[in-house]
Amino acid sequence: MMTYIVLILSTIFVVSFVGFSSKPSPIYGGLGLIIGGGVGCGIVMSYGGSFLGLMVFLIYLGGMLVVFGYTTAMATEQYPEVWVSNKVVLGSFIFGLVMEVVFVLCVLSGDGFEVLFEFSSMGDWVVYDVGDSGVVSKEAVGVAALYSYGAWLVVVTGWSLLIGVVVVMEVTRGN
Amino acid sequence: MNPFILIMISSTIILGTLIVMVSSHWLLIWIGFEMNMLAVIPMLMKRFNPRAMEASTKYFLTQATASMLLMLAIIINLLYSGQWTLTNMLDPTASTIMTLALSMKLGLSPFHFWVPEVTQGIPLSSGLILLTWQKLAPLSVLYQISPSINLDILLTISMLSIMVGGWGGLNQTQLRKILAYSSIAHMGWMTAILAYNPTMTLLNLVLYILMTTTTFMLFMYNSSTTTLSLSHSWNKTPLITASILAMMLSLGGLPPLTGFIPKWMIIQELTKNDSIIMPTLMAITALLNLYFYMRLAYSTSLTMFPSTNNMKIKWQFTSTKQMPCLAPMIVISTLALPLAPMLSVLN
Repeated sequence: MMTYIVLILSTIFVVSFVGFSSKPSPIYGGLGLIIGGGVGCGIVMSYGGSFLGLMVFLIYLGGMLVVFGYTTAMATEQYPEVWVSNKVVLGSFIFGLVMEVVFVLCVLSGDGFEVLFEFSSMGDWVVYDVGDSGVVSKEAVGVAALYSYGAWLVVVTGWSLLIGVVVVMEVTRGN
Repeated sequence: MNPFILIMISSTIILGTLIVMVSSHWLLIWIGFEMNMLAVIPMLMKRFNPRAMEASTKYFLTQATASMLLMLAIIINLLYSGQWTLTNMLDPTASTIMTLALSMKLGLSPFHFWVPEVTQGIPLSSGLILLTWQKLAPLSVLYQISPSINLDILLTISMLSIMVGGWGGLNQTQLRKILAYSSIAHMGWMTAILAYNPTMTLLNLVLYILMTTTTFMLFMYNSSTTTLSLSHSWNKTPLITASILAMMLSLGGLPPLTGFIPKWMIIQELTKNDSIIMPTLMAITALLNLYFYMRLAYSTSLTMFPSTNNMKIKWQFTSTKQMPCLAPMIVISTLALPLAPMLSVLN
């Protein structure tokens, strides 16, 4: 059951990435990103990173992508390009899908191939096992660490976020 | 720019670079790069004109791509070694991707196209920051991972950069583009020696920053961005005209001047490592650089273009611009060759 869920989620993940990289209008590109992000959180959760998946889903998708949605909605055109309205977009979408399928077949059928990096198995990319304490989950340990010895890291990230807002204001305010 | 914003942004530029330089944790290094890249954007967009916006967008896109590649390399390294420490020997794949990411950040050759475009679109003072301070962070990471870099890739990249830096600058009339190509060529020299003797990289970086800063300050003193406007400087500021001649030759690496020190040291170090063809090629292609510097020096201080009589009494008006420490900077960046024996301190 679990394997099927992850398989379906991964398929949607790849299709959404191929979808937005085949360059439809920005509003649909944003849609592809949102679907990809949400499904990615689902994959992380299925591998056992429930806290990480939830946090990314709530904060990244709930907060930031709403802003992305608003900005692309403001910049939208009257007749936006969907994937079927343009031969180039549709062609690159289908080309991307075919490439992915061929790639997966190559990895599954043979003993993998190597282009700068060896694609031989579906390695475990999501959860790095660093050894549990067994009593408390390591995600909770990580959050606790941010409030004790990782305090300066929080300061640095907070300052970076603040600077991000300041830069956006400064760049968009005009003369 | 609002003084508060200016202080906040310039301190973040400095902070980002410092975080990259002092961190031993890959995540913090990445954060430092991101802070630096975000904070420098308003610096590039000091004037809100379409050219500056296009330039900062190009800068943002290339740097964001490079940061993403850096993160990919870090994750691959984590996957294979299981740790975030910088001192650890890198995995070969991670090292290759990281070299490519850092060379994209530095503007080395296959990824150099953004450098002239961005530099041309921004004011001279921002170009100064872009071509000097922004090189510190990526070079410090390259310096620290230099034992585990793939030599073939690094040397190919640096040789290409030296060639592109030479050929690209020919036939340019825009000073900022010329300086951008000169930056590409100098970065090529720095990375060529990186695997053999990283100290030489630092030496070349210090002297390059010194010379580029002085050149930019001389251009800013005249507010000139084209060869034509620079060629009119003889009747405005004759002394500056003479020092531009010396500065150009020093940037080109002509023997009695400061710019010769790094070229000399690098060629010597490469020949000591039994590498003969490489330094020969580098020295030959450096002549291309020298050619366009000399063209600039020629039109600035060795000819007088025809001009109207009104132009010729401009020297009466004293310039109100003040460039800090211009005189000592000119002296150091042209006449420091006799100090070369002091380099034994570095070893």
